[in-house]
Amino acid sequence: MKQGEIIAGFLAPHPPHLVYGENPPQNEPRSEGGWEPLRWAYERARRSLERLKPDVLLVHSPHWQTQLGHHFLGVSKLSGKSVDPIFPNLFRYSFSLDVDVELAEACCREAQAAGLTAKMMRNPKFRVDYGTITTLHMMRPQWDIPVVGISANNSPYYLTTKEGLEEMDRLGKATRRAIERTGRRAVVLASNTLCHYHFHEEPAIPEDMSCEHPQSYAGYKWDMRMLDLMRSGKTREMFEILPQFIDEAFAEVKSGAFTWMFAAMGYPQIPGELHGYGTVIGTGNAVVEWNLVDRGLATAA
Amino acid sequence: MTVVSAFLVPGSPLPYLRPDNPPWRPIAEGYEAAAQRLKASDPDVVIAYSTQWIAVLDALWQTRGRVQGVHVDENWHDLGDLPFDLAVDTPLAMACVAGCRSIGVNAKSVDYDDFPIDTGTIVMSALLNKQRTPLVITANNLYHDPAATERLAKLAVDQAASQGKRVALVGIGALSGSIFRDEIDIATDKIRDAADDAWNRRMLDLMVAGAVDELRQCAPAFAQEARADMGFKHFFWLLGGLGGGFAGAKLHAYGPVYGSGAAIVELIPS
Repeated sequence: MKQGEIIAGFLAPHPPHLVYGENPPQNEPRSEGGWEPLRWAYERARRSLERLKPDVLLVHSPHWQTQLGHHFLGVSKLSGKSVDPIFPNLFRYSFSLDVDVELAEACCREAQAAGLTAKMMRNPKFRVDYGTITTLHMMRPQWDIPVVGISANNSPYYLTTKEGLEEMDRLGKATRRAIERTGRRAVVLASNTLCHYHFHEEPAIPEDMSCEHPQSYAGYKWDMRMLDLMRSGKTREMFEILPQFIDEAFAEVKSGAFTWMFAAMGYPQIPGELHGYGTVIGTGNAVVEWNLVDRGLATAA
Repeated sequence: MTVVSAFLVPGSPLPYLRPDNPPWRPIAEGYEAAAQRLKASDPDVVIAYSTQWIAVLDALWQTRGRVQGVHVDENWHDLGDLPFDLAVDTPLAMACVAGCRSIGVNAKSVDYDDFPIDTGTIVMSALLNKQRTPLVITANNLYHDPAATERLAKLAVDQAASQGKRVALVGIGALSGSIFRDEIDIATDKIRDAADDAWNRRMLDLMVAGAVDELRQCAPAFAQEARADMGFKHFFWLLGGLGGGFAGAKLHAYGPVYGSGAAIVELIPS
């Protein structure tokens, strides 16, 4: 079997507003649109994903939060209706997804071998979280690529940020080994917002974009500083200031997906392609791609 | 008297899904005793606040008259399903939504098929509210402090009073929050840290004594030093609904749940 590889990583945030704004048939609520720049960013990411032709999409979501270890979806087909507990008015989505259980099990084994507590989720009635579903829908609404869903252990919140992110680093490296050993061509998705300061009231019309802007100017400036580092490929510098960014911008990357993704990719010092940036109820969201094929770090399909 | 009974109960599914595990049996049995006390108090409505129903915008109130489904816990999915069939006192819940404006809190009703009911509410409904008295259930807004949580509970009880209803008030949440982060033999479960155990016992003793002023004084340190579940806001929910105080408490059970502290406490209204 040919050795597998990670061919790209995407920062792929999960505001359910983006699904709501798009009006796909799977989502019950109807909108008049909204958040177009971010949805157009995802359109560009979708085109790039189409060219990459991955075997599998792996997504790490902060809205499947676990306390006892890192969990992996382990049922070959999962379906149901996911209702966002925070925005049930916007997101009531009927999902059906195929899980790459063989790869998920390999990820779980490698995580255990790395000294992490890890566990497979085998319950067929499990309701997949809205973060996982939103990221996957926005990246690939056809749902025709198998997925591996990974929980966000609460270690960055329960322990120190540093200790928690060290766990995510180990998880990412374990994920990479599992991908290599199972021969998959994989795309890794970090389902994270940047600055997470948000408004506490929703406009009467949620998609009224006259109400949408950064909640915090300081948070916005932090996002621009981080995006500048991403766009210029200064990965080392970016991770050096990541803890400060987390503290000062209340950044959701604290939950670990971003660190997991970069650890899986080997922290490449390459520029990320910014597909777009926008706010959702004031939070900062960017769709960014690190294409390892284009940079000669992975092989083309 | 509007509030005829009040209970602090844990929301972990473990004593529900594995009641025969020796360290969890006291909690399961404590729930049995408290359920009898709740039934004996003959409430018209159970008004409950669960730390596990998280909100970040507004105060959310479940207003759908009947909520049914099967929930699988995000952490303990391997231990079984959590089926539920809840009856909701919609008129009272709607009154709570409308009344929130009077205390300066934005509120919304939740009335959707397949809305994810949290584990804590399901466990409480199955183990404490066995006779299926209609519920009013509300969320834990992460940005609400203890004082705001007290005001919400008072509002709910006041609305029940205006509808002439007898209330069983419930706060669903844990005591200390330090957990075991690796797999353990569940038969050996215990409170993870001795200091947490001491904090839990101190707070429980104060509840039994009805020492409300001391409880208020100690709560911030308890929350910080013992990682109390969600800042112990579920206790402040009870305080708010009980008019700011209570005469004492009966401790039905205390024990560990994967290292964290859990107790079944019946607060005696003044």
